[in-house]
Amino acid sequence: MASALDVAPASRAARAPRAGFRRRREILLVWVFLLPSLAVFLLYRLLPLAWNAMLSFQQFSIFAPPSWIGLDHYREMADDPVFWTSLVNTLWFMASAPVGIVLALAISLMVNTGIRGRDVYRTIVFLSYPLMTVAVGIIWRWMYDEKVGLFNFILRSLGLIDKPIPFLQSFELALPSVLLANVWQILGFYMIILLAGLQNIPQNLYEAAAIDGASRWRQFTRITLPLLRPSLFLAFVIGIMTSFTSFDLVYVMTQGGPSHRSEILMTYIYKAAFELSRIDYAAALTVVQFVLLVTLTWLGNRLAGGDAGAVRTG
Amino acid sequence: MHTLRRPLRFAAQIGLLAVAAILLALATPAAAEQKKLSFLTWNISDQADLFKEWIAEFKKRHPDVDVEWLDKKGPELPAFYQTQVIAGTPPDIINTQGALWLEYAAGGGLVDLTPYLDKDPDVRKRFNADYLAQWKYKGRNYMLPFYISKTLLFYNKTMFKEAAISGPPQSFDELLADAKKMSKGEKTGFITLNFDWLYWPLFRMNGVDLLTPDLRKAAFDTPKGVQVLDALAKATNDGSINKIAWTGRWVEPNGAFASGNVGMLLAHSPAFFFIRGQAPWVNADTLGVAQAPGGWATPNSHGLGISKGSKHPELAWEFLKMVTSEDWTSKLSERRKVLTGNIASDKKLLDQLGKDDPLAAAVLQTQVEDTNKLTGNWPLANDARVKEAFYPEIQNAVLGRKPAAQALKDAEAKVDRVLGQ
Repeated sequence: MASALDVAPASRAARAPRAGFRRRREILLVWVFLLPSLAVFLLYRLLPLAWNAMLSFQQFSIFAPPSWIGLDHYREMADDPVFWTSLVNTLWFMASAPVGIVLALAISLMVNTGIRGRDVYRTIVFLSYPLMTVAVGIIWRWMYDEKVGLFNFILRSLGLIDKPIPFLQSFELALPSVLLANVWQILGFYMIILLAGLQNIPQNLYEAAAIDGASRWRQFTRITLPLLRPSLFLAFVIGIMTSFTSFDLVYVMTQGGPSHRSEILMTYIYKAAFELSRIDYAAALTVVQFVLLVTLTWLGNRLAGGDAGAVRTG
Repeated sequence: MHTLRRPLRFAAQIGLLAVAAILLALATPAAAEQKKLSFLTWNISDQADLFKEWIAEFKKRHPDVDVEWLDKKGPELPAFYQTQVIAGTPPDIINTQGALWLEYAAGGGLVDLTPYLDKDPDVRKRFNADYLAQWKYKGRNYMLPFYISKTLLFYNKTMFKEAAISGPPQSFDELLADAKKMSKGEKTGFITLNFDWLYWPLFRMNGVDLLTPDLRKAAFDTPKGVQVLDALAKATNDGSINKIAWTGRWVEPNGAFASGNVGMLLAHSPAFFFIRGQAPWVNADTLGVAQAPGGWATPNSHGLGISKGSKHPELAWEFLKMVTSEDWTSKLSERRKVLTGNIASDKKLLDQLGKDDPLAAAVLQTQVEDTNKLTGNWPLANDARVKEAFYPEIQNAVLGRKPAAQALKDAEAKVDRVLGQ
């Protein structure tokens, strides 16, 4: 016994450096495998971001060396009505996310019940999402057409209007028309996120609530909504991000017009950089968009309790 | 332990191999003394065979030179070219459309071709002088014509007949009156392309200028300018002018005309081939072509220039000389049914089309007439920004958001601001 006690510390002492060595090797291995991804992230994300931020303080022409102009682009932005219009329109885009989420929640609740053909309904709703956005834009553009569009045909057939409505040429309707197409396309994606969340809620909670006499509405507000919160906020955060990066739908349907009425930050950045060749000003616009996006995403995550996207298993 | 050692060793081996490959690539001597020219075109990949023939011919003449051809779609080219310039590897030869070249030339990004043209007077003589002059900035020539176009008026003869209109309009007022006669139900009387100042003949035919002669100030905010814009707004409001005229770009207005429901279209000649491809109704009996009233037209040609960053500008010039020669422009004309600005090959194409395709000949004939009445082609280094300052206000007026007078006043302030920067 005594000899065993004598030997044990020596053996532990011998194992300790080996365990440390092993731990170091493990860490090294992790870094070796992470390195390619980190290099790509650094090269294609962080460096361009830093360069973009730098560029926003410079006067830049592709043919001349850049010169430092401080906050001039930001001052110009403050006086630029197109910037403000596109910012407000981007916020409208963002505000359309909750509308889509509420609709998707209603659809998810319906197709999560035992109704017949629920898989077919799920597929139909989801079908819009994998479609190419450019194709969606073209289809909706024709549906909105003043002369041969589906909407005008229906409205006129029902006798609701005398004159066709120029949806995409209208200063008032161009943006809502694009927003509707956007909500339609992303609805299926929201539905899948929420459906996954709904199916992770344990059924026994509902059974217990039913035994306690809780109404369907009370079950929804006290069980479904709280447990669905991470999924809802995930959908919301994704909605915010897509609203900031939406480009193709707006560009295909209205090109930001008429007279910038449906311009969003992303299309304005593109135009500034590649149509007006103002890469420096576009860089400043990008910085503003980036700061807004990060702030809103952070806020969204905070509101979700810091765990947006987490799946609760009960 | 073993399970960890093996992947670590594998990763290390891969890393070593990668380093060795990079070192080997760096140590390999550059492909001898072979020179290389790159040639960037804009949305003309359908002519790949012709460009391969150009390259083969050039290689025959210059065995020590390789030529690489790249083509980019419409909106991709400026972005691609800008990134190449920033990377220090601009394509030696670049093809641009519209006024984009002006920005490059004014920024010092293009080689001044004037000394080359002076050295080779025969090259200068090849071209229609009015078209060649389109690529002049501050008196210097920066590009040669690749293929040329300007606006003209297309009209639907069937709709003209139905509205009892005898022929194409001869004035702005007549144009609007004819448009009104034809607009009924789903039919509208007039549509125009609106990018690259292609709608400007509507103002110019009324004597309205965009800028003062020294190009320093806006000059359009005049009683006549207001009157013209107001008339356009009223005509748009009553359906004489199709609203797509002010919101569409290429496919939408041309598509609308191709549908057979629009009486007149102000567009440049490439629109004809697009429309004919879409509209079975188009033939010499149903489609008429004419100059817009007053003969004014906005050019929208493609040019070829040499990047300042080219390592071989002399060779690039030799390439340009070759491809703009009569032999090669004839081949381009024949295969793509375009005019190239080369007087001899344009004549050849028009003669040939006169026999084979009279309607196409009639369209292209308008492109070499009245070439002294070109408008919307101001040599402005910041043309794109002036356009962006001006056009949204025009949209505000024609789509009924602002009175014409207010829109022009606001546009003037914006344009002057851009010009003053």
